[in-house]
Amino acid sequence: MFEDTDFRLRLTEVTHFMKSISEDSTVEKKLIDRVYWLTRLRWIAILGVVATILTVPRFFPVSLEMEPLCWVAVFLAIHNGLFSWLMRHLQGRQMYRAIKALANLQIFLDLTCLALLIHFSGGVENPFYFYFIFHIIIAGILLSRRETVILATYAAIIFSAIIFGEQRGFLHHYSLLGTFAVPLHESPAYVLGVFFVFVSTLYITAYLTTSISNRLHERERSLTKANELLAEKDRIKSEYVLRVSHDLKEDLAAIHTCVDPVQKGLTGSLNEEQMNLLSRARERSKQLIVYIDALLEITKLKLTEKMEMSSFSVADLIHEISESISSMAQHEKRAFEVQMDPGVPSMKGVRVYIQEALLNILKNSLKYTPEGGRIILRVQSDRSWLRIKVTDTGMGIPADDLPQIFTEFYRAKNAKTLLKKGTGLGLSIAKKIVEMHHGKIGIESQLGQGTCVSLEIPLAS
Amino acid sequence: MSKILIVDDDADIVEAMRLVLEKRGHRVSIAGDGNEGLGKARAEKPDVIILDVMMPGLDGFEVARELKGDSQTRSISILVLTAIKDKMGFDFKKESADPNWLPVDDYCDKPLDYELLLEKVDQLVRHKKN
Repeated sequence: MFEDTDFRLRLTEVTHFMKSISEDSTVEKKLIDRVYWLTRLRWIAILGVVATILTVPRFFPVSLEMEPLCWVAVFLAIHNGLFSWLMRHLQGRQMYRAIKALANLQIFLDLTCLALLIHFSGGVENPFYFYFIFHIIIAGILLSRRETVILATYAAIIFSAIIFGEQRGFLHHYSLLGTFAVPLHESPAYVLGVFFVFVSTLYITAYLTTSISNRLHERERSLTKANELLAEKDRIKSEYVLRVSHDLKEDLAAIHTCVDPVQKGLTGSLNEEQMNLLSRARERSKQLIVYIDALLEITKLKLTEKMEMSSFSVADLIHEISESISSMAQHEKRAFEVQMDPGVPSMKGVRVYIQEALLNILKNSLKYTPEGGRIILRVQSDRSWLRIKVTDTGMGIPADDLPQIFTEFYRAKNAKTLLKKGTGLGLSIAKKIVEMHHGKIGIESQLGQGTCVSLEIPLAS
Repeated sequence: MSKILIVDDDADIVEAMRLVLEKRGHRVSIAGDGNEGLGKARAEKPDVIILDVMMPGLDGFEVARELKGDSQTRSISILVLTAIKDKMGFDFKKESADPNWLPVDDYCDKPLDYELLLEKVDQLVRHKKN
């Protein structure tokens, strides 16, 4: 029974391959999300720059070079707009390859713009130069340690070029505080002091941010791995259940096949006692077959990774289902009614699965609705959804059982009292099938009044 | 009285079928796998063969194709037993409509319904006699 180790090996290889892909793509996907976040953040920063340029001179005794500052703000806006446009137009693989370079370039341009803003608004006199730290924090979150250190070095170089250039007189100094202020930018000791504090802060920030973000990435990776491992283990368990159930069913079917003809009198007549015991044995083996069939069904569904979807007529399927349920209902003296909107379209999915889900729900209703009760199958659709409701006037489900009613093997208390047999798998199977079609299943019930199961399935899932 | 050959690797199921068929008055012989089944079919020329699909070695499909391709054995009616819907998830009724794919005369689902099996065997025997 367990001879196909070769198949198992191949499957493991495939799973490993898939995992390595998914690991890479989660990292890339995260980076893309963060670059989007950075782009949004930059719009806010641009607004902040403009607001500062406009309001600060009104409230503080400072003089600002409006024109160059406005040009820098315009440049920032243009480059952010360009990046937003690029991000929208790069798709898939192309995007993955470009995204790292894009993030580096964006931060590089941000640092350049900030340096220009500082230069045109007082250089070393302007305390906003500490905003360089924000860019290094962002780089530490988005990029590797090496890239962050390179960007910190770039920030140190351009800032130093400005303050030393202004101090030495190579660069023009745009005074922020006017002629009344102490000319700080000319003091070698002050400029040197700012240089040391600033540069050390840059590198310490780069180190701290990348340390924290590396640790977080590590943790995230190990969690993803643990999740995948759990999923893999669950799959192996399901395969095991499938094999064991198949073996059990084979023996059970043989038992049933041997007992059946004797009980039916095909091998000669029996006395009443013999007949009684044999009927019991046969009934129990039949129940077990039903149970194992349901177990096989749900395990197979769990192991299904890709479904062959095809288009089929919902109306035809409903007619087919209602034919078989009608005759069962008639036989058991329950009323069964189908209310289907005209023009219910075709849907894309696995027909036998949808049929199975609906039959499970309808048979459940039949089972738990007393004689004389009524079951209604209502089928509606709009442009993209198929909506099905199965309403019955049955015994209902107690409120405290309701949240677990779709759990495998779970049966409501009153159902167990009424009928000893029952797999507790019918609704779980239906739920699994609906979810595999990207749909939703819900249940409402009133004890002693009835139950309504509703399905919503996309027509093209 | 007609001659029936049962080809199935499950000894318990074979025994149950043998008892039922013999009680009905048929003469029954048994083969435990596909190769033995082919041999007995050629040697004994039964009226009907009850053939299991899933067997180790030569499976039921191969046995059926072999027998229907041979002019000596073509006239023997074949009834296959299948639990295939269970194992592979397709509806046997629709698939078996193509005689080139699986050249059999009738089929029964497993677990067996004996009344149906006996009825189908009788039908095949009658059909052959006509």
